[in-house]
Amino acid sequence: MTTSSPAQDLLLEVTDVSLAFGSVQALKDVSLTLRRGEVTALVGDNGAGKSTLVRCISGIHHPDAGTIAFDGAELELSSPEDAREAGIETVHQNLALVEDLTVWQNLFLNRELVRKVGPLAFLDRGAMQRQAKEMVSTLAVNVPAVQSRVRRLSGGQRQAVAICRAAGFSSKLVIMDEPTAALGVQETAKVEELILRLRDEGHAVLLISHNFEQVMRLSNQVWVMRAGRCVGGRRTDQTTGQEIVSLITGALAA
Amino acid sequence: MSARNPATRTALGVALVTGAALLASACGSSDSSGGAATTANGNGKVAAVIKGLDNPFFQSMEQGLNDQAKSAGVPVTVQAAASITDTTGQADKLNGLAGQDFSCFVVNPISGTNLIQGVAQLAAKKKTIVNIDSPIDAKAAKAANATPATYIGTDNVQAGELAGKRMTQLLPSGGAVAAIGGISGDVTSGARIEGFSKGLGSNVKLTQTVAANWDRQEALTQATNVLRANPALAGFFVANDDMGLGVARAVANAGKTGKIKIISVDGIKDALEAVKAGQLDGVVAQYPYAIGSMGILACQAAAKGKTLPATVKAPVALVTKANADKALAATPKPFQAYANPFQDLLK
Amino acid sequence: MPSTTTAAGPAETRSETWSARAKDVGFWAEWAALVGLVALIVIFGALNPTFLSAGNIESMLVAAAILIILSVGQTFVIATAGIDLSVASTMTLGAVAFGQVYARGGGLWASCLAAVAAGTVVGIANGLLVARAKITDFIVTLGTLSAAAGLALILSDGKPVTVIDAGLLKLSTGGIGVLGWTFLIAAVVAVAAHVTLFRTRFGTHVLATGGSPEAATATGISTARVKIAVYVISGVLAGFAAILLVGRIGAAEPAANTSFLLNSVAAVVLGGVSLFGGRATIIGPVLGALLLTALVNGLTLLGVSQFYQPLSVGIVVVLAAFLTRFQR
Repeated sequence: MTTSSPAQDLLLEVTDVSLAFGSVQALKDVSLTLRRGEVTALVGDNGAGKSTLVRCISGIHHPDAGTIAFDGAELELSSPEDAREAGIETVHQNLALVEDLTVWQNLFLNRELVRKVGPLAFLDRGAMQRQAKEMVSTLAVNVPAVQSRVRRLSGGQRQAVAICRAAGFSSKLVIMDEPTAALGVQETAKVEELILRLRDEGHAVLLISHNFEQVMRLSNQVWVMRAGRCVGGRRTDQTTGQEIVSLITGALAA
Repeated sequence: MSARNPATRTALGVALVTGAALLASACGSSDSSGGAATTANGNGKVAAVIKGLDNPFFQSMEQGLNDQAKSAGVPVTVQAAASITDTTGQADKLNGLAGQDFSCFVVNPISGTNLIQGVAQLAAKKKTIVNIDSPIDAKAAKAANATPATYIGTDNVQAGELAGKRMTQLLPSGGAVAAIGGISGDVTSGARIEGFSKGLGSNVKLTQTVAANWDRQEALTQATNVLRANPALAGFFVANDDMGLGVARAVANAGKTGKIKIISVDGIKDALEAVKAGQLDGVVAQYPYAIGSMGILACQAAAKGKTLPATVKAPVALVTKANADKALAATPKPFQAYANPFQDLLK
Repeated sequence: MPSTTTAAGPAETRSETWSARAKDVGFWAEWAALVGLVALIVIFGALNPTFLSAGNIESMLVAAAILIILSVGQTFVIATAGIDLSVASTMTLGAVAFGQVYARGGGLWASCLAAVAAGTVVGIANGLLVARAKITDFIVTLGTLSAAAGLALILSDGKPVTVIDAGLLKLSTGGIGVLGWTFLIAAVVAVAAHVTLFRTRFGTHVLATGGSPEAATATGISTARVKIAVYVISGVLAGFAAILLVGRIGAAEPAANTSFLLNSVAAVVLGGVSLFGGRATIIGPVLGALLLTALVNGLTLLGVSQFYQPLSVGIVVVLAAFLTRFQR
């Protein structure tokens, strides 16, 4: 399945991960790998288990069986904070942004910068706003002032904020779940630009997408999931869109 | 010989119970079709449904019911509403008791009509209904064919009048007074304030009435506001003691204790103490203890087949500093003699 | 506080922004409580000069203190998209706890501690039932409303306990100028609450939990812990309010205090806090509480018939709720 490559290139190794919700087997013996500095795509039909796998890797769900090794070390992820500490950042399908809070508040959600005054810790709003501005401009993201509430932003701008959050905190792996699904043509182009820039800056990207053209355009490696299993992986430059589709529908066995 | 003599009461009680037992065995278990005079199975069991026990007034009423029942040997079950505003809860309690084998029901409804359904059920089963303290609306009762055998209660208008007369005495040179009522539109509160107005002399004017929902804190706030609006106010009439204590506090905060006269109605212990201490200038005491006690006596008389008087006025007494000690010593029982027609019936 | 939306342009557009803001209903909606309060003060002040007298302002502020504290607690809970229907009964229980300890010679401080402890216990119970047992907050706090009220009746045997304490008396009658001690205490509580909500991580987490529980969970915030915390805050503040209540009326009684519950929710809604969570201020509910108190005070000063007072309060609350629909 994987082509020969030095082991140190592997950033993420998912081995035989299974997860069941009650009587529903969401993931069954899923194994895949991800290389540093690449865009890896994860595709599959609805209900194939892509988002569930992503949630396992980002620490929201705990797999019943199997291991997840990241950057050489095996990970015990019991919370999203563990994942973040390891260097895994996620842009969820629903963006996980709080509409009533501002851009900078969302960027720093649950990793707020504080100033200690005796035993009490107060928010260092100034520092957070400054850093937020930096993060936003580094990624050349087109977002109005970081003090604006997320509610006021367009779909593309919100996506950009979510990506900025994932990319801005020295993360090694950025996971994106359907980042352009709800966006128009122009905004999609902007987000794709962002994804490539992330890769160029050394982040590895795991991209979940329904958009084959996007997958063929952006990714270096594609993994296919069907009905809770990982049924195959290909180097993008060695496969075609048709082959991917057949793997998804099951016409082709891995 | 006073009927309050415990020995007489016990003797009466024993006689009653024996009589009732004989009656029961004679009639067997069949429902007699007797009129209002005899009850179906005169086992003498009494059920009482009163207002909320969160007010000491009704605690005294419960005590009166229990004491009289105990001394007469009458089995009694007393149920109270969850709070003084819980109309439907009280109705549910009565409906629950109505299905059981009590022969006499003593009811103290929160509103004029909230217990009508239960009472109608009782009337259909020919049980004796003794209405105490708070009257069941007469028209509604008639429409439901459920007019109670008797009503025992304080004449709230009379109580208010006593307060009005006393207020006039306390303000020989006249002045303006305000009234603090209970829940807006409440019948009892309205009657007391109406009586108060009637009892006022010509040189004392009732200038403002506010509602404070029978709540001490609200009465305090409202009294403060009223005093603010009428700095020359000479007195307050308050529809119950709990609120009266709140008003006393407001007057004390303004530094005018003794200068602004306060009279309230009920006669709870804390209020009597306040009269003694000079924080209240008068309390028209009601005797829920006596009302409860008379309620049981009415049941006893009815069980004996006597026709009960349609209305019986419960005793009220004006308590001032002069007789506060006596009142406190006797509380919750009245410290003055009073007319008790039921005792007479049972002689 | 409404934040700037579009990027701040050059000075010449700033006057534009102000008049645009004035025409924007959303702006008025955000500040409904303040606008209402100012309108009330102007109207009542004109109709009866006593309204604005120092003495009256002092008694209004003191009368509002208890409601302010309860409303602040309620705000924290509503900010997480919850509701606490038990605040008034918890206050009653706190008052009764105070009275029982006091009557047994416990002294002022032990009694105060008892009141706050009682409130804390109810708060913890609410929090655990809502956050861990995952029962709807409406039902849970409805249950604790009855349980606390019943417990208060049992502990007190339905009887009020007179509390005459020199210290407490000074607290409820003294102050600095027009600012009574009880009002100042309420103000301190409000300031502390504001700082907590807007200047600490916990405050941000509260708003996140209410605004988007999925987002909060996804970033690793324990929404369960946040919910427990806000119910405990509400309970503790209710216990605190109980102390002020006992001081105010000079007695610890098992009275139902229902109007405090309704008014606390009304004050929060008046203050522009969203019942769906995520959007809250502290200054809003404080102004709402002041508005409700001033309304009743003004109507009484004007001698308005007692039948019209509940109607007026109702109209004001509905109007305010209607205005909040226009909040952006």
